[in-house]
Amino acid sequence: MAQAAPSVITDEMRALVGVDGPPVTLEVEKTNCRMFARAVGHTDLIFYDEDAARARGYRSIVAPPGFLGTPVFRPGVAAQGPPGAGRGYSVPYRRVLNGGTEYEYFPESDTICAGDTITAVSRISGFEETEGSLGPMLITTRETTYTNQRGKVVAKMRGTMIQY
Amino acid sequence: MPDTETALQITDDMRAQIGVESEPWTYEVTTTSVRMYARGIGSEDPIHYDVDFAKQQGFRSIVAPLGYIGTPVYLPGSNDPTFGFPRRAGGPRLDIPFKGLLDGGTETEYFDVICAGDVLEETSHLADLKLREGARPMLFITNESVYKDKATGKVVVKQRLTSIHM
Amino acid sequence: MTHQVFFEDVHAGDEIPQLRKNCSTQQLVQWAAASGDFYQIHYDRDFAQATGLKGLIVHGALKNAFLGQLLHDWIGEGGQIRRFGCSYRGMDEPGQDILCRGVVTKTYTLDGRHYVDLDIWTEKPDGKRTSPGTATVTLPGRA
Repeated sequence: MAQAAPSVITDEMRALVGVDGPPVTLEVEKTNCRMFARAVGHTDLIFYDEDAARARGYRSIVAPPGFLGTPVFRPGVAAQGPPGAGRGYSVPYRRVLNGGTEYEYFPESDTICAGDTITAVSRISGFEETEGSLGPMLITTRETTYTNQRGKVVAKMRGTMIQY
Repeated sequence: MPDTETALQITDDMRAQIGVESEPWTYEVTTTSVRMYARGIGSEDPIHYDVDFAKQQGFRSIVAPLGYIGTPVYLPGSNDPTFGFPRRAGGPRLDIPFKGLLDGGTETEYFDVICAGDVLEETSHLADLKLREGARPMLFITNESVYKDKATGKVVVKQRLTSIHM
Repeated sequence: MTHQVFFEDVHAGDEIPQLRKNCSTQQLVQWAAASGDFYQIHYDRDFAQATGLKGLIVHGALKNAFLGQLLHDWIGEGGQIRRFGCSYRGMDEPGQDILCRGVVTKTYTLDGRHYVDLDIWTEKPDGKRTSPGTATVTLPGRA
């Protein structure tokens, strides 16, 4: 076991664990569903054609897997990234890697469709420090809950960020 | 350098397509698409971003920046995968041997303001073909489109687009 | 959609139909617009090289979305994606094949629903797995 580097996790950071961040509004529309589906290369028409989606029992065009809506963009507002990005603490590492993303869906609750307005609330689930081949690292896990305009939880996202 | 491949003439078949009206295609204007276009042109005017602000100014919703007339409905196989425009029945079929393609100009005439939430129906026709001879011949193709509000049938925009093939 | 896969026909160890991708730089630009992620290492070669990369790289989240398509296309109209995700362990570059694959690890029925767990990943032409992950889907039963 290599000699442990001093911890970069501060009390201020620890206090953020489990605390809900500010809600972020995301819009799901026909145009952005299609744009996402087109970029991925989907061929199923439920992601493009409202009639095809309705024929399969959906309210409108279905959001493709991994698409949870587009955050409402406001010029000059700092936090424009995905919900929960940038939460007002800093660590002495300059490099960032996206460690992974996982989506959980609740189809019995509701399916995300064009026309939906989603409220995303993000919280840090934990900080972890390890020593890897790249040196000491801080691993931050975050969970975001997505609730639609009907009050139904439609998805959760768990993301891992690696700073080193 | 002589290039035999570029020996292009405007044929009678090409000329016969001038003025032939295409089938309609749907264009959608949404809040995210308006904001994305506004970001693309570097505008920070809240009229393009903030629905409440736009409504206070008397608009139905955020206003589409000048030049944005909605996004054509994209269906795989039905739209051009690069440019996104619809390849619909009745559209011109021109066989052009040139690889180069440039935007030759846009002329837009507005009859109403376009706002997020609007759904437009567009029809277009080939309006003009011009060949400029020279060491590198250029073909100028002009299309004219009319955009109507799908709900009211009112003409909202007329647009002329010229592409240069060389 | 074409063919419906049923729970009874799926067993641990089965590989699901592969999905082959090969991103053009054009597709990376489309993804930038669709995702809102305009980080320049995905479309500006000079910028990418100035950060120490060999060249442009494919967005991790796009590979994750490819795995979403892999699952969606497999489960058919009657299936549901419950959970899917991957971690980003290696870089892919545009113009090179990205093979999306999945292997069933477990099948089980809970509260009347038929669950299938899978290992999913993207793979480079040399076989290196760049985005390993897992997924859970539900499939219709024949009964």
